[in-house]
Parts: sequence; structure tokens; C-alpha cells
Amino acid sequence: MIVAKRKPLAEIAANLQKVNKLLIVGCNTCVAVCLAGGEKEVAVLASALRLALRQTNPTIQITQRCVERQCEEEFNEVLTEDVAACDVVLSMACGVGVQTMAEQFPDKIVYPALNTSFMGRPLERGVWSERCAGCGNCVLDKFGGVCPIARCSKNLLNGPCGGSANGKCEVDPENIDCAWQLIYDRLKRIGQLDRLLEIEPPKDWSTSRHGGPRKIVREDMVL
Amino acid sequence: MPERPKIVLIGCAHSAGVALEELKSGAQRLPAHVEWVSIPCGGTLDELHILRAFESGAEQVMVLACYDGACRSVEGNKWAEKRVSAARALLEEAGIAGWRLAFHHIAPSMPLDLLRWIEEFREPAVAQEQPESSDREAKA
Repeated sequence: MIVAKRKPLAEIAANLQKVNKLLIVGCNTCVAVCLAGGEKEVAVLASALRLALRQTNPTIQITQRCVERQCEEEFNEVLTEDVAACDVVLSMACGVGVQTMAEQFPDKIVYPALNTSFMGRPLERGVWSERCAGCGNCVLDKFGGVCPIARCSKNLLNGPCGGSANGKCEVDPENIDCAWQLIYDRLKRIGQLDRLLEIEPPKDWSTSRHGGPRKIVREDMVL
Repeated sequence: MPERPKIVLIGCAHSAGVALEELKSGAQRLPAHVEWVSIPCGGTLDELHILRAFESGAEQVMVLACYDGACRSVEGNKWAEKRVSAARALLEEAGIAGWRLAFHHIAPSMPLDLLRWIEEFREPAVAQEQPESSDREAKA
């Protein structure tokens, strides 16, 4: 899922000093699961903003809404009246949701309330970890299901580097596992250590950000 | 005599709530500027409880939960303390000084301690009494 984190309150409030009617819109999908932008977080942010703005913009009216999936216009149609009635939309979705709102309501100011961080998974309650960088050419088959792009600090395809010690990465030995230790352990466990004898050629990054904004078209789904 | 700032107590019914009943049975009561909000367990505390207490006009909020090992839900008091910390950080972001939110462990047998905490909670507030804008400026 997409993992995000709320922006500092001061950064959010700085854009709202002269706003009369604010609509905060959460998203009940990824950012609700990572406790950043669901219904509860919308309520908390609304309350915190009322407190933060009570000296500088005490008359601000805040409306709270939450849709099931802000990245799809169909789910946002229920917001049409609320959006029309507000001055500014503050989106608590990921960057995709924010841009969907801006494209769907092109005359309305839309601000982000979250910093979209990464694609990852929950490790335990309250802890999320990056797992996929969306490079557009998955290599997990070669590396025992551990992604060296997303999980090696240096994105090494032929690792490990000299900074691996005791299974940890030199970038942050306290908190970051060495992805190449994980790859070795996993390949050994599934009997595929021989894969490490193969030299991986330089990665073609044209399927990633280097190829510009990406788009997927399923011709059989388009008339 | 100047009006005292409103204090909201949010507390576990099984510890703080019983301590309050003890107070009443001793013919004592909470000061008039103190408002009591009962929750079934510290684990049910939500940062929204705290934020809305401040929104409703409270100048200070005190959260009361059981001691370690005394929580009927085992870890409710620990969750309460965690959420108080998170709420304090958010309040400070909003320009409200962190000291305005306090946390105490309490047992049913501690009604007089509760009165003392309320009194002490007030005293630093008087000593540091500043307009709210000063809190904001300090943060800035």
C-alpha cells in the first residue's frame, strides 16, 4: 500500500490563514490503513487546525469528509456540493488523490496535508516499511523475493557492498537491515544460492522515472 | 479573585472515577473550575478527547490512568500515556504549550493526591501565565 505521513501543522496552516471555508477530505484506502489520512485523522487535523488558527483565523469553517478511494473520480462525485461550497480543499490522500481532486475540480484550490512516502507494508502496529520502488521492471524473481532497489540503500544489483556488517546497513545500522544479507539468507533457504553467481547487468531505468511520467493502457479495456 | 482557568480531567472510571467517589464520600468535591470526563479505560483515550477539551475552552487537561499492573484491560494505562504524548506533540504544533496537558497514574485510594495534582497544575500555570499568543511566539 501507499504509506504517507501528515505534514507539519505549521506548513498546512500557513496556506489557510485567509481561508473562510475549508473542506478536509480523507481517503479510506491506503492512507487510512497507515493512520495518516482516514476518517479519524481528518477529525484530528480539523480539531488541531481550529486550535492552531484560533488566533489568526478564528472564523474559519471546517467541513470534514472522507471518501473510499480519492484516486478515482467516481468516488469523489459525492463531494461535488461540498467542494463547490468551500474556498479550499485540503486533501489527506496520497499525492495521487490530491491530483485527482485537482483534476476533477479544476477551479478549486487543492492543498496536500500529507507527505506521500513510499509503497510498503506494516511490520507491526504503528510501523511501516518500504518494499517497492515502482521501478517498472520487477526483479524479485532473481533475488529471492527481496527487492534490492527498494531495500538496499545503494540500490545495488550486485551486492553486498563493504558497508554490510552483522546483517545491518552502514547507512543506519540500528534500523536498516542489509538487503543483501536478506537476499543471501532467503536464496539459501529456498535452494537458489547459485543465482548469486550471475552478474546482473546495469538496470534499464527507462521503465522507471527516467522514462518520464508513465502510463499503462489496456487496449482491450478501451473503446 | 481572578477566575481560574478551566481544567478538564479525563480519567479511567475504575481508578480516577473511584477516587472521585472517595472524595465525595469525604464531603469534598472538585473545585468549580475543574470538569470531570469519565472514560471506561485509559486504553479508550483518544487524542480527539484531548483536542476537543481544549477546543471547548479548557486551558489545561489532565489525563488520569491506572498504575502499571492495575489496569483491568492490562495495558490501557500504557496506551493512555502514549496517546497523551502524541497529543502533546500535536498541541505544541498548534501553538499550545505542552505543560497544559498533564498525565498521572492514579489508584482509587488517591483522592487527596488528585486534589494536590490539581492544585499544583494550577500553580505552574499561574507562574507561567502568559497570553496564548506568547505560547505561539515561543514556538515560532
